[in-house]
Amino acid sequence: MTSTVDPISLPKRAASNDTEIDREALARLLIEIARNVDPDYRARLDGIPTADPRMETLRQLLVGREISELSRVTHLLDEPEQLAAAVGGVLSSAAARASHAQLGEALAPVVERAVQRSIQKSPRTLTDILYPVFLPAIRKSIGEKIDQTFQSLNETLRHIFTWHGLKWRFEAWRTGASFSEVVLRHSLVYRVEHVFLIHRNSGLLIKHVTAENATSEDPQLISSMLSAIQDFVKDSFNEKEQSGLDTIRFGELRLWSEVGPFATLVAVIRGNPPEELHEIIRDVLLRIHDECSQALEQFDGDSSQLAGVETQLQTCVDLKQEESNQGFPWLVLAAVLLVLIPAGGWFFLSWQSGQRWQAYVSRLGIQPGIIVAEQKVHDGQFYITGLRDPLAADPQSLLAGTQVDPARVHSHWQFYQSLDPEFVLKRLAASLVPPDSVRLSIVNDRIVAEGEAPDTWIDRARAAAQQLSAGGPEFDISRVRDVSPEARAAERWQTYVSRLEAQPGIIVAEQKVRDGQFYIAGLRDPLAADPQSLLAGTQVDPARVHSHWQFYQSFEPEFVLKRLTASLTPPKSVRLSIVDDRIVAEGEAPDTWIDRARAAARQLSAGGPEFDISKVRDVSPEARAAEHWQTYVSRLEAQAGIIVAQQTARGGHFYISGLRDPQAADPQVLLSGTGVDPARVHSQWQFYQSLHPKFVVKRLMASLTPPDSVRLSIIKDRIVAQGEAPAAWIDRARVAAQQLSADGLSLELSELRELTPPELTHLREAIQAVNIFFDSGKAVPGPEQLPVLDKLANQLKELATDARKAGVTAQFMLTGHSDETGRETAKLSISAARAETVRALLKKRGVDPELLLVRGAGTFEPAETENSRTGSSANRRVSVTVNFH
Amino acid sequence: MQKKICMLGGFAVGKTSLVRRFVQSIFSETYLTTVGVKIDKKSVAFPDKTVDLILWDLAGEDDIGSFRVSYVRGASGLVLVVDGTRAATLAVALTLRERAEAEFGAMPFVLLFNKSDLADRWAISDSEIDELRQLGWQIYLTSALSGEHVDDAFRQLASMVSK
Ligand SMILES: Nc1nc2c(ncn2[C@@H]2O[C@H](COP(=O)(O)OP(=O)(O)OP(=O)(O)O)[C@@H](O)[C@H]2O)c(=O)[nH]1
Ligand SMILES: [Mg+2]
Repeated sequence: MTSTVDPISLPKRAASNDTEIDREALARLLIEIARNVDPDYRARLDGIPTADPRMETLRQLLVGREISELSRVTHLLDEPEQLAAAVGGVLSSAAARASHAQLGEALAPVVERAVQRSIQKSPRTLTDILYPVFLPAIRKSIGEKIDQTFQSLNETLRHIFTWHGLKWRFEAWRTGASFSEVVLRHSLVYRVEHVFLIHRNSGLLIKHVTAENATSEDPQLISSMLSAIQDFVKDSFNEKEQSGLDTIRFGELRLWSEVGPFATLVAVIRGNPPEELHEIIRDVLLRIHDECSQALEQFDGDSSQLAGVETQLQTCVDLKQEESNQGFPWLVLAAVLLVLIPAGGWFFLSWQSGQRWQAYVSRLGIQPGIIVAEQKVHDGQFYITGLRDPLAADPQSLLAGTQVDPARVHSHWQFYQSLDPEFVLKRLAASLVPPDSVRLSIVNDRIVAEGEAPDTWIDRARAAAQQLSAGGPEFDISRVRDVSPEARAAERWQTYVSRLEAQPGIIVAEQKVRDGQFYIAGLRDPLAADPQSLLAGTQVDPARVHSHWQFYQSFEPEFVLKRLTASLTPPKSVRLSIVDDRIVAEGEAPDTWIDRARAAARQLSAGGPEFDISKVRDVSPEARAAEHWQTYVSRLEAQAGIIVAQQTARGGHFYISGLRDPQAADPQVLLSGTGVDPARVHSQWQFYQSLHPKFVVKRLMASLTPPDSVRLSIIKDRIVAQGEAPAAWIDRARVAAQQLSADGLSLELSELRELTPPELTHLREAIQAVNIFFDSGKAVPGPEQLPVLDKLANQLKELATDARKAGVTAQFMLTGHSDETGRETAKLSISAARAETVRALLKKRGVDPELLLVRGAGTFEPAETENSRTGSSANRRVSVTVNFH
Repeated sequence: MQKKICMLGGFAVGKTSLVRRFVQSIFSETYLTTVGVKIDKKSVAFPDKTVDLILWDLAGEDDIGSFRVSYVRGASGLVLVVDGTRAATLAVALTLRERAEAEFGAMPFVLLFNKSDLADRWAISDSEIDELRQLGWQIYLTSALSGEHVDDAFRQLASMVSK
């Protein structure tokens, strides 16, 4: 280290990037410590030895742990998976600790969007989730609304010094209730008369509860009608699913309905119910849904499951607020008088009558057909002028009940005609005196007349409608049907005429109605319906009908057909029908008839429908013979193994030539039954071999002569041989199959089983019944067995020869057996030895040894079960089995 | 047990007349077209139960487009009415049924060929009716005028919907 090097510059450059440790500061610190420890050092050193490796070691010592910790944290931050896991672990508690205002601010847009998405996707889900929540919420807000109403009522009423006001103030003072409550109690007089619980889907009534003394029409009908109205409103105004009519008002009655997921509750209320009643009804509906939602959902017209809701509904109809019937409040009157008289009765009365007058004026103002132009009060007298419709309420009579003294009222009314539809309707009803069958009503500010009326009335109504048109409401009489007797008769007459016109074979040339008489003239086909009889049922008076009909021949196909049938008298084999306005004859007829028909067709052609006789077959003798010949030819053509090359009919003779398989049906034989005279048939047939499988089979049957046990059948163009046959036959069949395959035909033999000829079977059974017996422990049969052996040898030789003849090879298996005495191995070897001996003995007797096979069965195939101590002579033997190959 | 039943068919085929015949046993010649829907009720008694039919008589529409299918919601059965003197009303009735079933699924129905008293103006062939019967449908030739088969048809439907 030399003093020329800037000791500080080195470590600055070398600062490692894992930790931004300030090496320079560290070096200075260390040097400072060193200087303090050893003053000499101060003298010697005034640079900073930062490139010293010991610095690094020191650094490791000081902050080594922090470095590794830091790298772990950095790693955590860089891995999204791990970071997510780590943040997830603390998210809930972090959210809990975060500033609520800020957190809310940050989350709001996200949550809003999520809710929006959910609603777009399926509004039902959120509605179902919120249903229990927003009901209380709505309830609460309604509660607040009512409170507000209370407040404002309070305000208004506080200053109104009316009779009722005083009365109620007194009552409030007396009962300790707030004044506004008393006011509400008195103004809201109502009674819930009916409650209907209606199945929302079908509109069927689930339950109906009535208040005492309340009457109603059939509640089931009302229920359905209400839901029809709901449907109608929903449809007509394109309302959303959940909403609907919730209030309907008919005069004194109100229908309030609450809609739940499965049922709607409708309350019929008489009077003036408080808003909070909505809440009560909603509450009941909510409770019903809570308790029986499943039964509601599955309701199918049988409400026995839902008997329990009745008590819930009962709570609704118990609701009422009746006018307090506490008699006249004398006490209040006395109190009022006591207060008022000293204050100056006159002033009060005048003030009060002023109030009353104003009430009267505003009452007049809202009266339809009354227009108040001016009013004033002067010297205790009341003056009023204006216009009134003669049909409007009488202003004088409206005075009654207002407590305004009529004597002090000076009115001046001028009549005018109000164009309010209501008045126009009244005037129209008065001036037109519509008959009972006409109903006038107001529809969308138009006056509509409906029903039936004589034409005289309709004329008058039309005139009135024209007069009205200037500025007034429209008067629509288009729905009144003219039913004056004349018009009615004319209408019926027209029905009759059009009935006639629709009649085939009747042409109405002229018809008119004059002076109540009906005239008609025209043409009719004699075959058409009688116009007179058609009168029946039309209610036209036959005495007033004057008809003039001329007969004519209708060219309508129907009539032409009738006439043709009458004139041509077609034979039974001919059928006439109408096809697309043409008359078509079908069937068979002799040529004479066809000629007549043809003549008729020609006559018809001028203007009449076409008469088509081309489908009638000529069945005169010549034609019939030719027909039979054709039948025969097509019969031949359909025959397998016969190919018709040429055929003609000439001079009453028939010529035919072609090929036929010898195995095919005989053409001569096929003639029988065709009606063709064999003497007139000249045939020339050349034989050929048909490759039709059917013929191939026939030929095979002839050439191979298969045994009875073989069946040849045709399965989809292949010939299949099934059953059993001797091997020799099978070999011949195989050769035939090869030849056939050259012609593209296949003969399948795979399903054939080889058959042992019966004579071989017989011999085989005889051989297999033979046993050569041995003495105990001996492998050579005793002398008494020699004749058996001789006979056996002859039988074997005979069978071998016969088998060879039948095309098979016979093989003989000699099986040696032993009894139970002796050791196991000895038993087996003696059985084999016995078989070998027999083989040698047979060979000696001239049996081909090639055909003799041997085996030892030991004791495993005993002829009889035995007592092992004595053994069994029957089991010491050699048996023979025969196999053919 | 109550069941909602809808009367469907073209205009003036006699839906209202059939309901009146069935419910009140009266008939009138005058034609007052139904506006919207008219509701009636009639109880049908069976040995083991009584079914209250709530009959929704809907306005006939020949223009299927303006048919208010929502009235059919919650119905248990349909009465399809055809005017036997106007062949075209058969197609109308069948289309209305398809509309209703497309919206609310299959439901029992009876098919009535009404005005059977007007034999001389009858426009539906027996073979056509037979073909429909082949489908296993319950078909009646009714007359609101004479009352013929009207009760039978409604009783049949009542028993079908109350099963
Ligand atoms: N002859 C006869 N006339 C009938 C029969 N049924 C109804 N009518 C008549 O047909 C007309 C229409 O009958 P409505 O019952 O009003 O027909 P609707 O189907 O209710 O008609 P909309 O309400 O307009 O759809 C009336 O004039 C009835 O008198 C019937 O069985 N025989
Ligand atoms: Mg109707």
